[in-house]
Amino acid sequence: MKTYQILLFLFLTASAFPQNLNLHSLENKKKFADHLFCEKDYLRSILEYESILQSIQNDTIKFKIGLAYQRLDEYEKSINIFNSILPNAESEFYHSLFLMNDFNLFRIKVNNNKTDANPAVQKLYLFSYFFTDDALPDWQKFSETFSEERAVESFYEKKINPGYKSEITAAILSAIIPGAGKIYTEQYGDGITAFIATGLLAYLSYSNFNHDHDFRGWLFGGAAAIFYAGNIYGSAASAKIFNAGIKMNFENELRLFLNQNNYFMPEYNFCK
Amino acid sequence: MKLFLIIFIIATVQIVFPQSAEKWKAKEISYQHKKMEKRRDYSFSGNSAGEVLSKSFINIYRIFFSDVDGDNCPFNPSCSQFFIESVEETNLFQGVLMFADRFTRDMNFVNRSGKYFIDDSGRYYDPPSLYTLK
Repeated sequence: MKTYQILLFLFLTASAFPQNLNLHSLENKKKFADHLFCEKDYLRSILEYESILQSIQNDTIKFKIGLAYQRLDEYEKSINIFNSILPNAESEFYHSLFLMNDFNLFRIKVNNNKTDANPAVQKLYLFSYFFTDDALPDWQKFSETFSEERAVESFYEKKINPGYKSEITAAILSAIIPGAGKIYTEQYGDGITAFIATGLLAYLSYSNFNHDHDFRGWLFGGAAAIFYAGNIYGSAASAKIFNAGIKMNFENELRLFLNQNNYFMPEYNFCK
Repeated sequence: MKLFLIIFIIATVQIVFPQSAEKWKAKEISYQHKKMEKRRDYSFSGNSAGEVLSKSFINIYRIFFSDVDGDNCPFNPSCSQFFIESVEETNLFQGVLMFADRFTRDMNFVNRSGKYFIDDSGRYYDPPSLYTLK
């Protein structure tokens, strides 16, 4: 009899307790979604947040969905969501717009919406000039806006004097002395090789003509001419590649700086 | 009946087992370099006279020089393939200039390792698209 009483007690207790635990309550869903967000499982956190939005409308939840999309590089979706909760999500709206790399569109939107009061957006606005070939605003504007002056000043100077090599100069130098254009673009080994190859073939041609070996003279002369012309072309291409390398390194430095400074956005304590 | 059952089982195993054994047996792995299989294309796929002319020169070079010399080109694509792709991407004249420049770079043994990306076959990745001046 006693055994039956204990079993009955256990059965009733087990049936009673889980009814108090509603795993699908809004509060628990939010906790779970926050957990997924903080674990960087953004895709599933979005699903959880969206299921909460079916019950209640909450700007913070929408903001988190926007952030999650932004971190998934789904900028258009994040822009649409931030746009629906403007002006509260103004900084992140422009942050997503900036991340789309369409800096002209970004600047048009900033100018149209007059966001002078938002320092983060102003910083991004000025920074966008480093990524395009448009004329830079005065340094005074940069110095007024940025507290990280030294780094920004270095970017400003690099943008004004990037140290590009002229393709035409490289080609002309190689036309005067074979290989000189390559040396100008800091390809020293290629430059010396081009000089030796062209010089050697030209000498062989000259020598063969001198010894009345006309066929060999023309053969080596033709090869020398092809190498000479190829080196002029290659020097121009080398200057172009050199400039592309400088541009890529500069943009990498900019991205690194922006990442280190969180794109001038405020820190959110969702995951602390 | 028992005998029939045993024969049936043995017959079934005899029929089914070879098929499943074929399915699950270890596959032979080829250690041949995949890039090498793709390198030699002697066909004339180009439409323009320049492409046909350059492919003719390349095929002569490949048959009488490159195949005898062996697989030594440190670049991907190889110099001959670079020439074909250059002509396809630009024109015969520019292709010849790009090839002459590549050949000069091929002759240079100084400071090459830091200059090019190294692809999965261990060669310097140097496609003609970098040199079209576009």
